[in-house]
Amino acid sequence: MIWRIAKKEFLLNLITFKFAVGTILCVILVSVFVPVLAKDYQQRLEEYNENVAANEAEIRKVMVYKNILPTVYRPPNVLCVFSEGVEKRLGTSAKISHLDVPEISATSNEVNPYMSMFPALDVSLILKVVFSALALLVAYNVISGEREQGTLKLILSGTLARHQVLLGKFLAGMMTLIVPVTIVFILALLLLLSFPMIEPTTSNWAGIGLMYIASLLFISAMYNLGLFFSTLVKKSAISLVLGLFAWVIFVVVVPSGSTYLATQIRPLASQEELEGRRVPAMEELRGKSRKVSAEFSHWKGPKSDADGPFGQSYTVVCAKSCLHDASKAYPLLKSLESDYGDSVWRIELSYVDSLVKQNRLARNIARISPISVYENVMSTLAQSDLGSFQSFMDNARAYRNDVIEYIRSKTNNFSSSSYFTICSEREATIYEKKLEAVKQAQNENERKKARDDFQQFINETKKGRTTLGLKDLPRFTYQPSVVKSLKRALPDLAMLVFVNVLLFSLSFVAFIGYDVRSD
Amino acid sequence: MIWHIIRKEISENLLSLRFMLSLILIISLFAASSFIFVGKYRQESDDYWKKTNKNLSDLRKPLNRLNDLAFHKQQIFRKPKALALCVEGYEKYFPNYVEFNIFNIGLPEVKGSANFTLPHFSDVNWVFIISLILSFVAFVFTFDSISGEKEAGTLRMMLANTIPRYKVLLGKYFGAMLTLCVPFLIGVLVSLIIVIASNIGGISRLQWLEVLVVVILSLLYLSVFVFLGVFVSSRATRSANCMVVLLLLWVCLVILIPSLGRTVSSMFSKTPTRVELNRKLSEVYEQIWSNPDRFGKNAGVSFPDANDPRMNLPARARLYNAWSNAKNQVVIDHHNKMMAQALTGRNFTCLSPTAVYQRASEAITGVGIGRCADFYQQVKRYQENLKEFIRSKDAEDPHSRHLIFDEDNSGGAFDWRTISKRPVDFDVVPKFQERDLALGQSLKLAIWDIGLLVLFNLVFFAAAFVSFLRYDVR
Repeated sequence: MIWRIAKKEFLLNLITFKFAVGTILCVILVSVFVPVLAKDYQQRLEEYNENVAANEAEIRKVMVYKNILPTVYRPPNVLCVFSEGVEKRLGTSAKISHLDVPEISATSNEVNPYMSMFPALDVSLILKVVFSALALLVAYNVISGEREQGTLKLILSGTLARHQVLLGKFLAGMMTLIVPVTIVFILALLLLLSFPMIEPTTSNWAGIGLMYIASLLFISAMYNLGLFFSTLVKKSAISLVLGLFAWVIFVVVVPSGSTYLATQIRPLASQEELEGRRVPAMEELRGKSRKVSAEFSHWKGPKSDADGPFGQSYTVVCAKSCLHDASKAYPLLKSLESDYGDSVWRIELSYVDSLVKQNRLARNIARISPISVYENVMSTLAQSDLGSFQSFMDNARAYRNDVIEYIRSKTNNFSSSSYFTICSEREATIYEKKLEAVKQAQNENERKKARDDFQQFINETKKGRTTLGLKDLPRFTYQPSVVKSLKRALPDLAMLVFVNVLLFSLSFVAFIGYDVRSD
Repeated sequence: MIWHIIRKEISENLLSLRFMLSLILIISLFAASSFIFVGKYRQESDDYWKKTNKNLSDLRKPLNRLNDLAFHKQQIFRKPKALALCVEGYEKYFPNYVEFNIFNIGLPEVKGSANFTLPHFSDVNWVFIISLILSFVAFVFTFDSISGEKEAGTLRMMLANTIPRYKVLLGKYFGAMLTLCVPFLIGVLVSLIIVIASNIGGISRLQWLEVLVVVILSLLYLSVFVFLGVFVSSRATRSANCMVVLLLLWVCLVILIPSLGRTVSSMFSKTPTRVELNRKLSEVYEQIWSNPDRFGKNAGVSFPDANDPRMNLPARARLYNAWSNAKNQVVIDHHNKMMAQALTGRNFTCLSPTAVYQRASEAITGVGIGRCADFYQQVKRYQENLKEFIRSKDAEDPHSRHLIFDEDNSGGAFDWRTISKRPVDFDVVPKFQERDLALGQSLKLAIWDIGLLVLFNLVFFAAAFVSFLRYDVR
């Protein structure tokens, strides 16, 4: 019997004006939005590929270990088309060096700050705004409308139990709403796949599947809300007004209001204070490095005479005393730099922490609206949420440790000369001799000859060396897993389920005591 | 007769559930937003004055020598506005800081406290409440204005009397408008009371006038939606269908079209990047330094001794000034391009009355993107004034060579005495003060948008009028 009611309702809904208009609007919006978004993704993917290739090329050029300063990049995710999250606002790369520890930061790609007056645009905007409205429109008169027409009396005069009627209505609504959601997803996917560069991986497909399920849960929550209002009041006009007010609060007031409120309740740590703590740390490092340099007088800092990769330079040849002193100075300096990097990171972390806390507060306040809950789920599943960026930075930090450890193991704790120069003991001896010859030269002619000789020696030394190759250098991998993002999305998904159950039970309770007589 | 209809409409509306709901929602939003605003404004003002005072106290330091004042970099921040209560225009994401000395001006930059991990959001202020909530409420009040009466069968009876149709339409329109005015005006009043009672100060007489203009503008904006609601209501036979259409229209006009701005901007104009800017700057450098002699013989060489016969200081001054000017021009062009890009999207979004209304109220209260451009202009003008001041002070010193150009203050050039090294009195040094536009000028800026809003009103009125004339009341 439930099934019969559901089928009748479903067929009735399909031919309604609201259903037609809503579905057509969604189709139009998706066909306009998705190509634009896909193009944008494609562009970012190209950029990413270029960056990664350039980084790899630079790694291949490395001559000395000091110059290993790669940058790691976060691959753009195709699912961002569905939910943009914070994808474009946070930095997607991290420089790996002794001095800095990777941490989330604002993107440097937002080249035009004036563009921030336009809100983000993604498929979930259509889903959350248009579909939630559609769900309410489908649901607002299911009970009160039947009562007004007098058909509710007739239905209940049979042997049908009230919960069966309600279940039938719920099923019918869901069947109706699944149609446009499915159309939107299929259309979006078809449009996406028509782009040659876009090839979703298995985990992307899983993500899309989960997003589809989340969307259904969300639509069902909004439908249940409408159903609840419909069972609460006698007139469908009133249930419509109630539903619409709830909707406008959820769509407009809560997202902006919660953030506005959170920024006032929990202000950020001051950036000046941060700067005030960073400067002394830097001064301390400078002072200590100066002391180390003074201790090893033959080593005059990183003397560089050739350009290396990553915009760095390296030493081709130097005197023996310099080799000797450097092998002692570098281990000390590097440990200083590591300490400095860590302490600055800790200072930064306090600021980032205040950002994250404010963000969390804003999200928690926003959770009173199912639309915000749904938005959280979508951005988490699309791996464009803050948590995903944090996990990227965790990976980058681990990679930094790997790289430093690698260099340490290869250079005997930075003491080997291969850390900063391609010069060997033997070459250092020759270098000293040739330099001496230049100094000893008696006349202009001799000096010129000695200098040429010296230059030739440097050139030959440079030519004779091959790059380090670095085949065994650990490479950065970042594979965001669906399982992890699902784990992060689980509380919000559970909340959606809870909202569904709660609203349905409330409508059930209200419907049990519903006066079915029409005026 | 028209008064009868208006009175009946209003009393009917006042007793309805939707009126109660909107009254509660709107007043509580106005009140909450004003409370938050007061806290925010206080904090921002403190911050601003701290930074500005620091800049002023830094300005005292180089006063021992005019030369140092010329090279002193000032840091100017944008002032927080009390009228952000009405509209804020995403200013928190816009550049709020400029650094400059009399020779060079930087790009305005974003410094400060916006949390980049949060989604971009609009502050909940008057324009937010009016453009998003009240516009929606306007639809809720009008969706059944014609079709609802028809369903109830009362429209037939009404028109059976001698009353002409346009009077019924106007009655409906004014009824809805006056009903909307109740929560709107009470909300505005509550908001103003909270702000005045919390004594934040800084609201001048001019700003009161601006508030009044914003209120009038808001009524004009709401009227667009009332007409649109009446129009749709007089097109359909069933009020439920009206609501569907209106709801979807609202989603398109208020949410979707304004969101399309970014896409349109990046489609029609290229984003100038920092890399390009730096490349252009180095091109300028190349251009100037590739042939320094065109500014005079030996312009490209310098020696520690200014009296060295191999030196040509006036030519060097010309070269450096040409270089500074070219650099500034590149920076300003870059800034103009960024502005132009954002404005492309903005102009497109003006298909929606919401965006038009937001733009107009930003222009009236002097906030938003236009104000940022104006702020940069003002800083540039101040830079000119300061330069003029230094030039005039320099002219008083017979020991100076009166060559004001940007060659490294710390290097050998310091001893050349190209600029006077006499001390300056702090009181006579011009200081930067951000000025608001006069109301006349702001109105001039907003005039197109006001015109557009009036046009929207006329179009929808005409549409409603025509379709109601042909409406089948049976």
